[in-house]
Amino acid sequence: MTSIEKVVEASALGKIYETTDSKLEVLSDVDLEIREGEFLVVGGASGSGKTTLLNIIGGIDKPTSGRITVFGEDLAGKKENFLADFRCSKIGFVFQSYNLVSTLTVSENVAFPMEWLRKPEDLIVARTDQLLKNLGLHERREHFPFQLSGGEQQRVAFARALANDPPLLLVDEPTGNLDRKTSLKIVQILETLKGEGKTIIVATHDERILGLADQKVWLEDGKLMKYDE
Amino acid sequence: MSETSFSVNDLLRRRLQTALVITSLALSVASTVYLLLFSERIGFSISLVAEGKLTAGFSIVFSPFILMLTILILIAGAVIGSFMVSMMMTQRIRDIGLMKAAGCPNDLVFGYFFTEVLIVVFVSCAVGVAIGSVADLGSTTFLASIGLPVSQVPFDLWTVVIVFFTFFVLGLVMGAKPILDASKVEPFKAVSPSFSIGLRKESSSKIVSKSAFTSRIAVRSLVRHRSATIKIVVCLSVVFTLVTVGVAGGLIADQTTKGWVEKAVGRDAVLVAHHDVCDQYKLLLGEFFAGGSESSFNFTDERYFISDTLLNELGSLFGNNSIDARLALKTTVREIQGISFGGDTNQTQTIGDNRKEECLVVGVEPGRTLSDWSLKGRFLANDGVWETVVGDTLGGEMFSEPLVQRMRVFETNFDVVGICIDPINNGRVAYVPLKILENIMHSTKPNLILIKIDAQGNRTESVDQIRAVVNAQNSEFSVVDLQVVLNESLGFLGYIWSSVMLLPFLTLAAAALCLVGYVILTMEEQRQEFGILRAVGARPNVVIDVVSRQSLIVLLSSYGLGVSFGTIITLLILVQNPVVTVYTVLQIAGWLAVAFAVTFVCSLYPAIRFARKPLMEIMRP
Repeated sequence: MTSIEKVVEASALGKIYETTDSKLEVLSDVDLEIREGEFLVVGGASGSGKTTLLNIIGGIDKPTSGRITVFGEDLAGKKENFLADFRCSKIGFVFQSYNLVSTLTVSENVAFPMEWLRKPEDLIVARTDQLLKNLGLHERREHFPFQLSGGEQQRVAFARALANDPPLLLVDEPTGNLDRKTSLKIVQILETLKGEGKTIIVATHDERILGLADQKVWLEDGKLMKYDE
Repeated sequence: MSETSFSVNDLLRRRLQTALVITSLALSVASTVYLLLFSERIGFSISLVAEGKLTAGFSIVFSPFILMLTILILIAGAVIGSFMVSMMMTQRIRDIGLMKAAGCPNDLVFGYFFTEVLIVVFVSCAVGVAIGSVADLGSTTFLASIGLPVSQVPFDLWTVVIVFFTFFVLGLVMGAKPILDASKVEPFKAVSPSFSIGLRKESSSKIVSKSAFTSRIAVRSLVRHRSATIKIVVCLSVVFTLVTVGVAGGLIADQTTKGWVEKAVGRDAVLVAHHDVCDQYKLLLGEFFAGGSESSFNFTDERYFISDTLLNELGSLFGNNSIDARLALKTTVREIQGISFGGDTNQTQTIGDNRKEECLVVGVEPGRTLSDWSLKGRFLANDGVWETVVGDTLGGEMFSEPLVQRMRVFETNFDVVGICIDPINNGRVAYVPLKILENIMHSTKPNLILIKIDAQGNRTESVDQIRAVVNAQNSEFSVVDLQVVLNESLGFLGYIWSSVMLLPFLTLAAAALCLVGYVILTMEEQRQEFGILRAVGARPNVVIDVVSRQSLIVLLSSYGLGVSFGTIITLLILVQNPVVTVYTVLQIAGWLAVAFAVTFVCSLYPAIRFARKPLMEIMRP
C-alpha cells in the first residue's frame, strides 16, 4: 500500500493540556490508520478526547507527543500558513457548534473557503448554488446564520466543509444538538458523501451513523480501542 | 472574597486592558495638567489676554489659541477617559450577567466592579498629574537653562488638585454607568452579546459590496458595534481636531507671529548708535521675552546725538533709502478723549478717559522706515502731520478706541492713525514724525540709525565696513547686527509654539491607546469568528487584514472630521490674516500624516499579537 492511500496515519499520539498546577492527559498512545474512502466513526463519552483527536487530524491542534501524518504530510512540525492552506484544500471540517461566521450570509459562508484558494468568481457562484441546492438551503442563501434553525446551520456547515471538494471530511458530533427528524437529514447527507467515495471521520454516538461506518473506534481515558473491545 | 481583593486580582489578570486604560487616562490627565501649568508659567492666564511677556497683539493670537487647545484637551480628555473606562466596564457586562445568573446579589456585583473602576481611575489620575507636573517642571528647567525667564510663577497646586478631582469624578461616573445598566437588566440579557457592547444581530444596512470577504467582515463588524464605533469616531475626531489646531494652528501662528516680529524689527538691519543707546535698544527689543530695560535712561543726552557728518557718510555709502534715522526717547504720554457721532440721532459720545503711561516715543521719517509693521489703520502720512502710530500693547492698555482718539506727548496732541504689532518695549511704543518730535524736543538730530544691508552680499564685511566708518567719526558709537536680537525673538516665539504643539501629541498618544482598546474590544467579540476563518483555511494574516480595514475606516472617518474642524477653527477663528507658505502647508501635511500613520500602526498591535496565537487558543471559548 502506498502512503497516499493511507489518508491518516497516527502513531503513539499523545496530548496533554497543562496548567500551572495540573496536567490533563486527553490522548495517550493513540495509533490510527485510515485509508482513502474509508468511513471511520470515533465514539466515546463526553470529554473523552474525540474533538481533540479530530482537531489534531485537521491540523487545528498539535500533539504533545507521537506522530500524525495526513496525506503524507507530518503536520506536527508544519508552520501555520502551510496548515491553513492544507486545511483549505484537503480537509472539510464540520464543527460540533456549526461555527458559522455570523457576519456573513449563508452563501458567503459557503463561498469564502473557495475565495482563500482564489478560485474564479463564476466557479465559486456555481459551486455555492449547487451545494445549497443539494442541501435544500437555496431559499436561505441570503440569510444570516442567526436567522437559521440548528439543522439548517448544520447543513450550511456541511456545505462550507464541502466547498473545496476536500478528500477528507472531519465531522464532530453532527447530530448531537439536533432533533430526530433533522438528524435523519444529516445522516442522509453523510450516506451520500460516503457513496461519493470521500474519506470521512465522524465523532459521534449516533447509532444510525455507526451503521455507516467501515471502521469504528472508541476513546476512553485517552486510549483508542476498537469498537468491539 | 473581599471587594478589594476580587478587583485587584481581576485587574492583574487582565494586565493589557488595565494598562491600556490607565495609560490612556493618565496621558489625558497629564496633558491637561501640563497645559494649564505651562500656560500659567509663561505668563498667560487663559482668561487674561494682555498680561505677561508677549505684546497684546501676540496675546490676541496666543490666548485664544491656548484657550481653544485647553477646551479641546479637556473635551478630548473627558471623551477619552470616559470612553476607556466605559469600554473597560462594557467588556465586563457579560461577567456581570454571569455573576448575577449564578445568584450573586446586585450590590455585591456592583461593589466588585465599582471598586475596579475606583482603583483604575485613582491610579490613572495620580499618575497623570505626576507626569503633567514633571513635564511642566522639565520645561521650566529647560527654559531657565537657555536663559528664558518664564518660571517666576510658583507651582500651582490648586490647578493640579482641580484637574485630579475633575477627571476622578468623571471617570467614576462613566465607569459606573455600564455597571448600573448591566445590573438593571435580566441576567440572560446581560450575558447576550446583543446587550454588551451594543452588538446588533441584524444588520439593517445590507452590504452589497462585491469586494473581498475581509472587507465585508470588517464593515459588518463595525456596523454591528455601532454604539462603540460611533463613540470611538467621536473620540478620535475630537483628538484629530485638537491635533490639527495644535499642529496646523501652531505652525501657522508661528509663521505669522514670526513674520510680525521680522517686519517690525527689520530684516537684515544694523543699528548704529552710542553704545549706551545700543544697549538700551537691544534691551527694549528683547523686552517681550526677557525684560530689563531702564525706565530712567536719558535718551536725549547730548552725547547720544548722531552728527550730520556720520549720517551723510553712511548715506553716501549705502544710499539714503537704506538709512532709517530715528529719535527715540522714553516719556509719559497721555490719552485724549475722542468723540464719536451716533448714526441716526446725531448724538455725540465721548470715548476714552485721561489715562497716562510711560512709553517709548520714536520719531521716524515716514516713507523711509526699514520696518514694515503689521498694522491696523495706516502708517504716518508725511513729515508734517501731527499723527502717531501706537504699539499694540499701548493701544490696548491706554485707549478705549485708539483710532478715534488722540495722544498727547510733551503738550502736543497727535491723532492716532494706526496700531502696529511691535515687540519693542513690549508693544508700549508710539511712532511720530521725526521732524515734529525734533521740533518739540528742540533738537535737530536723531539718536539712532538703522541701516539695511544687502542680504545677498557678505554680511560680516558690510557690518565691518559700517563699523570702520562709525569708529572713524566717534569711538563711543557702536554697530549692532539686529539679526542676532531678531533671532533671539524668533527663537522665543518658536519655543512657545513648539511647546504648544507638544500638547496635542500627548493627547494623540492617549487616543492611540484608546483605539487600541477599541480594537481589542472588537477583536475579543470577533475572536471566535477569526478562529473559524483560520480553522477553515484562512491564513493568520487575515486577522490583521480585517482589523487593519476596520481601523482604517474608523481612522479615516475621524481624520476627515477632525482635520476639517481643526482647519476651520484655525483659519476662521484663531489666526486672522495668516501667513501660509507652501512650506507651511507641506509641514502641516507631513505632521498630520505622521499622526495618522502612528495611530494606525498602533491599532494593528493587538491584531499582530492575536495572529500569532495558536489556533486552539483562539477557538477556545
